[in-house]
Amino acid sequence: MRGTYFEDVVVDKVTVSPAITVTEAHVAMYLGVTRELPDGLPAVPDVLPLCLTIGLGWRIADPPMIVLAFVGLDWRMVRALRVGDTMHARSRILSKRAMRDVGYVVEERSIVDQHGEVVQQGRFTFLVAKRKEVSV
Amino acid sequence: MIEHRRYFDEISLGEECESPGRTVTEADIVMFAGLSGDYNVLHTDAEFMKQSIFGERIAHGLLCLAIQSGLFSRASVPYATLAFVGLRWKFKAPVKIGDTIRLKAKVTAKKDLAKADRGLVTLERIVLNQRDEVVQQGETDLIVEKRR
Repeated sequence: MRGTYFEDVVVDKVTVSPAITVTEAHVAMYLGVTRELPDGLPAVPDVLPLCLTIGLGWRIADPPMIVLAFVGLDWRMVRALRVGDTMHARSRILSKRAMRDVGYVVEERSIVDQHGEVVQQGRFTFLVAKRKEVSV
Repeated sequence: MIEHRRYFDEISLGEECESPGRTVTEADIVMFAGLSGDYNVLHTDAEFMKQSIFGERIAHGLLCLAIQSGLFSRASVPYATLAFVGLRWKFKAPVKIGDTIRLKAKVTAKKDLAKADRGLVTLERIVLNQRDEVVQQGETDLIVEKRR
């Protein structure tokens, strides 16, 4: 499969994603999926930028990590994003830890708006595939 | 629509609530892939996933995180929330198409903040499936308005 295996993940590597403008349509779709009650504010629901940042990770030039599972996150909402704002993500690999067949990768990520201000920030932990040993 | 909102002072430490269930459908996963742009094979390739340890497609972790956020609003009278500021979360088990998830939440901490008109409420949240297995678990921090 095309993608970056655990062995090829480089600690301290920084990746900047392309940007996406968050629209009314995103908010409407999000509220449709979650059935959260709209609060009538122009603010974007706080979990929506987090969802969009995962998709942006697929639009970078480097093949994405072969993620077998999203293990967890530790996340801070710094300020609200508003409809019409344009966000992108900046991420850095903090650490990696090999297990027998897989590996854990911790990534630090910030969601940044069009003014360069951090909107949300935190750490993601992923379980990433190792290359299959070729049996001789 | 006039709706009561609960202020910081009206929320008790240790109080618990449980939401109705919600069945996670294939449509939810397809819509979420479209919305988020996350087309990872885990969520979108039925044939590939037959060979995987899961045996079938699984829901995006963040989809279920988003769904539980909606379930919370159906489990409890809404808080007078000013901001959602923190999230510590673990994805513990897969959610498959047709699984029914529900939320159990408990207020585990209440703190005053520098600004006198608001306080911080920490909720422990457990997302369970129809077999009462924990699929997700974590804590959220909300800034809630005090009654003037």
